[in-house]
Amino acid sequence: MTAPVISAPPTISAPARRRFTVAEYYAMADAGILSENDRVELLDGDLIVMPPIGDWHAASVDLFTNILPPRLQGRAIVRVQNPTRLDNNSEPQPDVMLLRWRDDFYRNGHPGPADVLLLIEVADSSVEFDRTVKLAAYARAGIPEVWIAARPERRVEAYTEPAGNEYATVRCFGLGETVAPQAFPDIALAVERIIGD
Amino acid sequence: MTTTTAASAPPTISAPARRRFTVAEYYAMADAGILSENDRVELLDGDVIVMPPIGNWHAFSVNSIVAVFPSTLLEGRAVLSVQNPVRLDNYNEPQPDAMLLQWRDDFYRNGHPAPADVLLLIEVADSSVEFDRTVKLAAYARAGIPEVWIAARPERRVEAYTEPAGNEYATVRCFGLGETVAPQAFPDIALAVERIIGD
Repeated sequence: MTAPVISAPPTISAPARRRFTVAEYYAMADAGILSENDRVELLDGDLIVMPPIGDWHAASVDLFTNILPPRLQGRAIVRVQNPTRLDNNSEPQPDVMLLRWRDDFYRNGHPGPADVLLLIEVADSSVEFDRTVKLAAYARAGIPEVWIAARPERRVEAYTEPAGNEYATVRCFGLGETVAPQAFPDIALAVERIIGD
Repeated sequence: MTTTTAASAPPTISAPARRRFTVAEYYAMADAGILSENDRVELLDGDVIVMPPIGNWHAFSVNSIVAVFPSTLLEGRAVLSVQNPVRLDNYNEPQPDAMLLQWRDDFYRNGHPAPADVLLLIEVADSSVEFDRTVKLAAYARAGIPEVWIAARPERRVEAYTEPAGNEYATVRCFGLGETVAPQAFPDIALAVERIIGD
């Protein structure tokens, strides 16, 4: 006679996806698995396909690209739709970033969170994803200020004071108001120029 | 003065999709050293899924299947393949717990079996049972795998799914303790459910 074998009670769970590191992400490019034609970014170890860029999105990004550099010469680099390396499992491509000025324009290494003064996401159909998954990743990395230019609500949301997975403060700026980066309070932008009328 | 605003499509709220990988890209990851022998993964709907550690009940159940089938299946009728891949399509190469495959003298040395080679596919399901009944079963149905058994520990039964149609199986029969279950391809091979599930 044998005693019954006691085993742990089963728990119901979904298997996890294999998360990729930044090094593995670049190895995929080297191996030809990812090409220049793959519009992807690495977020929490997942490769996220970036949706096609709509006309509203492109116009808002272009506005920042044209308006900010003349006012920030020598003070900050305006980086458009290029990567920032947040940690070992995240290298997103935010729509616009203001980076600490460097004469070499970060030629020998993507900027890290400590280099970012302001990060801007222009959000149309992706707004919920930006407010949840992306914003949490930026908060964890300690990005000091994030703007979400939200088309559905026709406003700019300014998130500051990163704490854990969240930002402690959010201020919303609607049509008729202006918004300025906390790092550059002298640069006030009219919300309707960003959002459109 | 007024200007007309160009009408653009109303925004829809959606989550961005993950980049899906093909079977060829999955193998290229292995060749490039991104995935190693130590990565216990399978490719499902283009996602690289980490297989959980194999618990003692799961190992017992798979071992029981290995003990029972070869002695009842005469050589020349089917190949028993345990925790090895099946290439369902361009985005799916899972590693089911056990499969009975069409007999081949070369044991599929030069290419993983395809859905048409599979006579019966068995998943031994403990903590993963909901995932097996939803995501995996749908993938097997789409590929046309003719019969899938889920040996479900939580319910202490074997569920036999047959007649794949779209993302589903049209028929499911459940066999509890005290009953026997036989593959539709080999009705002469009846297995006692408690041999697979335990008592």
